[in-house]
This record gives sequence, structure tokens and C-alpha cells, in this order.
Amino acid sequence: MRPPAAPGRLIYGSKGFRIRVPLSSCTLAAGAEEVYRAALRAVEELGLDAEVYRVGCTGLCFMDPWVELAKEGLPPTIYANVRPDQVPRIVEDYSRGDLRGAAALRFRIEGFEGGPPALEELDFWRLQTRYVSRNCGLVDPESLEDYVETGGYSGLRKALSMSREEVIEAVKASGLRGRGGAGFPTWLKWRVAYEQRSDVKYVICNGDEGDPGAFMNRLLAESDPHRVLEGLIIAGYATGATRGIIFVRAEKPLMADRLERAVEAARRCGLLGKDILGSGFDFDVEVYRSAGAFVCGEETALIAAIEGRSRPRQRPPYPAVKGLWDEPTVVNNVETLAHVATIFQAGIEEFAKYGTERSRGTKMFCVTGAVRRTGVYEVPIGTRIKTLVFDIAGGPPEGRKIKAVQIGGPSGGCIPAELFDLELDYESLQSYGAIMGSGGLVVIDDGSCMVDVARYFTGFTLAESCGKCLPCRVGMKQLSEILERIASGEGSVEDIELAQELGESIAKTSLCALGGTAPNPILSTLRYFRQEYVEHVVNRRCPAKVCSKLVKYVIDPYLCKGCGLCAKACPASAISGSPGRVYQIDESLCAKCGQCLVACPFGAVRKV
Amino acid sequence: MVRVYVNGVSVDVPQDAPVIEAVEKAGYRVPLLCYLEGLFDEATCRVCVVVVNGRVVPACRFPVSEGAKVLTDSPELTRYRRLNFELLLSTHRLRCWSCSRKSRCRLVELSRDFGVEGIPVCAECPLVGEDCLVAKGLPCLGPLTVAGCSAECTRQGLPCTGCRGFVSDPGVWEDAMRELYGKYGVEREDLEEAMKFFWRSVPERLRRTLSGVEGG
Repeated sequence: MRPPAAPGRLIYGSKGFRIRVPLSSCTLAAGAEEVYRAALRAVEELGLDAEVYRVGCTGLCFMDPWVELAKEGLPPTIYANVRPDQVPRIVEDYSRGDLRGAAALRFRIEGFEGGPPALEELDFWRLQTRYVSRNCGLVDPESLEDYVETGGYSGLRKALSMSREEVIEAVKASGLRGRGGAGFPTWLKWRVAYEQRSDVKYVICNGDEGDPGAFMNRLLAESDPHRVLEGLIIAGYATGATRGIIFVRAEKPLMADRLERAVEAARRCGLLGKDILGSGFDFDVEVYRSAGAFVCGEETALIAAIEGRSRPRQRPPYPAVKGLWDEPTVVNNVETLAHVATIFQAGIEEFAKYGTERSRGTKMFCVTGAVRRTGVYEVPIGTRIKTLVFDIAGGPPEGRKIKAVQIGGPSGGCIPAELFDLELDYESLQSYGAIMGSGGLVVIDDGSCMVDVARYFTGFTLAESCGKCLPCRVGMKQLSEILERIASGEGSVEDIELAQELGESIAKTSLCALGGTAPNPILSTLRYFRQEYVEHVVNRRCPAKVCSKLVKYVIDPYLCKGCGLCAKACPASAISGSPGRVYQIDESLCAKCGQCLVACPFGAVRKV
Repeated sequence: MVRVYVNGVSVDVPQDAPVIEAVEKAGYRVPLLCYLEGLFDEATCRVCVVVVNGRVVPACRFPVSEGAKVLTDSPELTRYRRLNFELLLSTHRLRCWSCSRKSRCRLVELSRDFGVEGIPVCAECPLVGEDCLVAKGLPCLGPLTVAGCSAECTRQGLPCTGCRGFVSDPGVWEDAMRELYGKYGVEREDLEEAMKFFWRSVPERLRRTLSGVEGG
């Protein structure tokens, strides 16, 4: 964060000393609650005039739980992976100007030299463009005042001063495309809904986000809920809607709570309800907690879920023409709406600066899996995969090699490491067999078997298939059985061909996007890692030694010291021998659990 | 009314009518399965897929638009339809001998159209209830044999001798043994004798499955 972008009061607080502790689902899981309490206690015990301040998450998951201390005269300083017992020491040292153990400075200030590097000097921050996520980790997500101080709701004010056509034209000029996955131009949806003659129209914020390995929507809505709400109100104004619905999974209670509190705060301040900001525009929003299913990310299924039966239906008619309760309905993703609000706050020019000719702006990506720095990173669209995976996320852990990256969750595809020069945008990803999706990147290293990866994702979509249309319901079942056969060494070359043919047919003929993209993991791994499949069916061997039916555990007689720890660890009593002698594994009893491998202190147990 | 081109033939149909209406008006046929006009148009079986302006869509539900170009046949479409039909068949128990629809069954018609084998001769056999040859204690191989012959023999009162080969689904064999041969007391020896005529002996795969089944 560049210093001028953040006003002093926001950074240092009214007391001149602010201790930021992130409280969102992910940091809470990492123990931020205890850190927060420890910070409160430390301030009291040290008798400091400081304020312990709740913020959202910055998306730097590898630092969780972190705290940021900001005292006037000192640079705001971030401490990573903090344990509650370290907090008093950190607070005491920092308040005396001693920055020992700090991870980074938010920015440098004049008159203070040295200390840890500033965020601006670190690759994982410098290469990002914090556009929609600018407030994440900086402001209190439950404070409307703080949001307004960062320019919040000025976008709404600006939009309300324009006519509806002008708002839609402005979004068109910005070049914003849906951030939920398909990249449909946002203005076009709005235009179609705007042109419908109907007294009742709806705008829905799609916060379902069901992909494993994607949590940018949750992070954004938990850290900066007002931005999402502002975007939704602007969308409501542009399309002439009177009701807005924020669709959130009940299994993300904090996200729903924060959005609900944002809605209440906005309602109290006249940002919702009748005659918003004196413009004559009436609009209200309700947070809908859904039971949650992967298919609800599909807009027709989402609408049907609100109506009480969550199954997709054949489009057209598109929801913008005939949606919720048969009225025109616009469904936009959380991140899209946050972009809308930011575009109206900061101007089209700043947004259009980033991205490629066909896809403007930035996109948040969740990088997880085999990387050093897992987290949510916002980069301009068109950033190379290489930059994101190696420079920002830090590449593979020691001694590992990255093999591929699964982009777009279970509906996406694998991109092999050879293609990491590829730019992340909607079209180029599609042409290589993956999709942008919501933006989850699961990095896969050489310790993973691609057949196993495909099997995992196929199993996921099979379980999440709603069962309405035949290709998805029965076809995915067949695909998963074929993969099961291949992974257990009982497959044939015909199975590989059948999987390919079936996958293509399911993708082409399914009813909704779930079935249309469900075979992507298997099709893309077949495209780039066919050799691994062939190894499984021809040589009955798993090159990565993952598929348990195809691996064998053996004890190296030269390394075995005869300590017997492996035999103690074995739950199947498959290891026999006497102390001092070389132990042996009985393959017929071995359950392939790998406990012996972990137990052996000499590295004598090997997988072959 | 909008003008639509079906395989190059121009037809006029009402705006937003389903593609199938234009296809039928142009004199072409598309296989339909789950679609029941006016009753069910959820487009779930995906057997009626056609290509409209380059996109694969179900003909029964997708609305036409001005100038739409519809393609009703191509090698890809045939493959998709056939695969989807086979997927459906894979979840069907195919106990045609005890089914009341019999020859009025769309599945049987489509399996003939697509050349998908797997349905037993019983599906085409008109003999039901007391008239069924198995019910009379005869070793008729109809329940185990691939349909497609219009059940010419059993219509004449002659038990099926299995000239078209046996159906590949082991589930069908098991059901036939349990529900049909076992129930009417057809002897296992008589059946094996009948199988010898065309299959020379009981096929190995069939034998393995049948040995696990009681009765027969």
C-alpha cells in the first residue's frame, strides 16, 4: 500500500497507536482470536494508550495469524505467524521502537531507517495490483465510517447522479467482465435486464463460491462487505431493480453475518430503503443463507434455490429476461460487484489501465497447494502463470518440482509447467482446456499423480451433480468408475479412449455449466499427461507412487537396522522380524497406509 | 414468425418455438425421448441434441430465433446421442419380460435406431403372461438374447434359440434366472442344452455369473 492511498487516521487510529488483528474465517482458524485477546491484555497490562483494531484479511495466508502495529512516528509493522504468548513482547518492543522479529513494514516513513523490508520491496506484494482488495486487512469490515473514509459510497453517489443508461454505458466503457468464471460482459446482462418491461426486477449477488481451493469471495466479503453492497446497489439502480439479494452459503456464517451487518448499517444511514441519497431510487437488500451446493454457483440453479428447488434449467430464456419468480434478474459475482463499486469510486481510467485488450482490470486468484506462500493475490488479468506461481507465491517447497497447476477448481483444467508462460485471461485459458472459473489455482508438484488428481475432481463433481440431466448424472458416474479402474491398475487402453470420448460428449451435451465443465480435469490431464495414464494401464505402475493399489512398500536390507519401529507402527501386522535383524513386509497383508515409511528413522522403508 | 434454416431448408415458425417444431416442419426427424409436448420439457435426457448456430442444444427445449441455422445430423451428433442413450440404458434393469410397455417402448425403438445392442428379445416378443413360452416351462432363450429379430420365432410359438448372441449385461442374466426361469421351473440342464445350438455351450462369462445365482 502506497502511503498516500491510506489516510493517517486510518493507519494510526484516533489514539495514534493501532494494533490490527485480522478476524476472518481463515485467520480465526489459524488462532487469531487468541492473538486478539492477547493483544487486548498486553495493552492493558502495559498501560498503553493503544487501540486493538479488528480488520479483515489481507489474503497473505502464509503469514496467518499476523498482527500489524502502527504507532505514530514509527512505520506500521507486520509480524507474521504470531503466537498469543509472543504478543506482549512484540507490543512492548514495538512501542519502544524496537522492531525485532518483524516480517515487513506496510510502508517506510521518513526519519526511520532500517528494519525489515517494506511490503513494496517484497515480490509477493510488489507484483500485485491491489484494486478491489485495497481495503482488505486495512479497515474494520464492520465499520461503515471507515469504509466511507476510504472513499466508500462515493461511487454510489456518482452513479445515482447519472441516468441508468449512462451507468450501463460507463460499465461498458470500463470493459468489466464477470469475475465468476465465464467472463460474460457485465454491462450486457444489465442492459438486457434494464430493457425488460417489468415492475419487479431483482439483482442477486452470487456468493456461493463452492470450489475447493477458492475463497477470494469469502475473503472479500468478510474484509470489505460494504464494497460488495455498494456494487449491488449500483447494479440495482442501473437495471431498475427494487430488490437485491445476497446469496451466501450458511456454512460461511461470518461472511453472511458481516454482510448482514453491512446491510443494516447502510439501511440506518439511508443508503438502502426509500429514496436513496435523495435520488428517488428505492432499493433494499436481503442476505439469503443457502444450504449450499456446488451447483448453486450456476445462476439458474441459484435462482431455483431461492425459489426452493435448486436445480438448473435450460437457458434461454436467460435470467436477465426471466429469472427469480419469472421476473428479470441479474446475477453477478461478489468480486464483479466489488469491481463495479471501485470503478465508480476511482474512475474508469484507473481500472482500464490494467489487464489485456479483451479483459480489462484485475482478478483475485487463490494460490494453494505446493507453493511456499499460499494466499489470495490480486493481479492484472494477463499476468503470466509463472509470475503468479513462482514470483508471487514463491514456487515449490524445497526439493520439489512443480508439475502442473489446476486452474478454475473442479470445473477447470490442468495447465502443465511447460505452459507457465501463458497469460491468465479468459480466452487463452479456455483454448488450453482450463477455465478462469472463480480463480482458484491449485499447484500440483511431482509428488502427485495426475490420474489421482483427475479422480479427486471427478469424484467431487460427481457428488455435486444435481442429477437432473442424464450426461452429467450417469456419465460422470461412468467416468469416475473408469478412473477408479485405471488407478487400481485394472484399466485398459480402451478405457482411456472411452474416457476421452465420454468426457467430450458430457461437456457438449450437458444441461448446465456444471456438466459442461465437469470433464475438464480428466480431458486436460489426458491432453497433457497422457503418458501417466498409459503407464497405469500398460505397465500397471503409478509413476508418482500415489495410487495405492499400484505401489509396494519394501524395506531396504542395507539400511534397515532392525529396530522394529516399523513393525510397531504397522496397523495391519504385516511387518515381521526380530530385533537386530532385517524386517520384512508381507505384501499380502500390507494395507499401503504408509505408516512404516513415517516411522522408520533410517529411511529404510521405500515405496516402489 | 421467424425464418429458420434446418439443414439448409428454410421454414417459418413462431418466435420462441422449440427447435423441434422447425425441424419437423422442414421434414426432418430427431430422436426424442423425455420430451412430452405440453407436459414435460425439462430437456433432461439430451438425446434430441442438434446444432443451432454452432452450439449443441436440445431440440425439444431450445427456442428458435430469426435466421438460426439448425443442423440435425452429423457424425458428432450421432455419437453424442448414442452415448447419452447408452448411458441411460446402463441404468435400466431391462426386465423386459415383466414390463407392460413392451413393444410400445421408446427405449426399444431408439435402441433399434441407434443400433445399440443390449435389450433382450422379450422386448419385442408379444407373448405375455400365460402365453409366455417360459411360463409354459419351455427353455426359451429370449430373456438372454439380443433383440433385433422382431422375435419372429417366439411369435410362431417356437422357443428362442439365441441366434443373435447373448446380451452383455450380467444384471440381465441374473434377473432372468431368478425371476423367470426359476419361477417357472425351467431346468438348468434344458437351458444349457438350448444354448448349445448356437452358442455351442454355455458361454464362459455367462456361466461364471449364473453359477452364483440360485434356481434355474
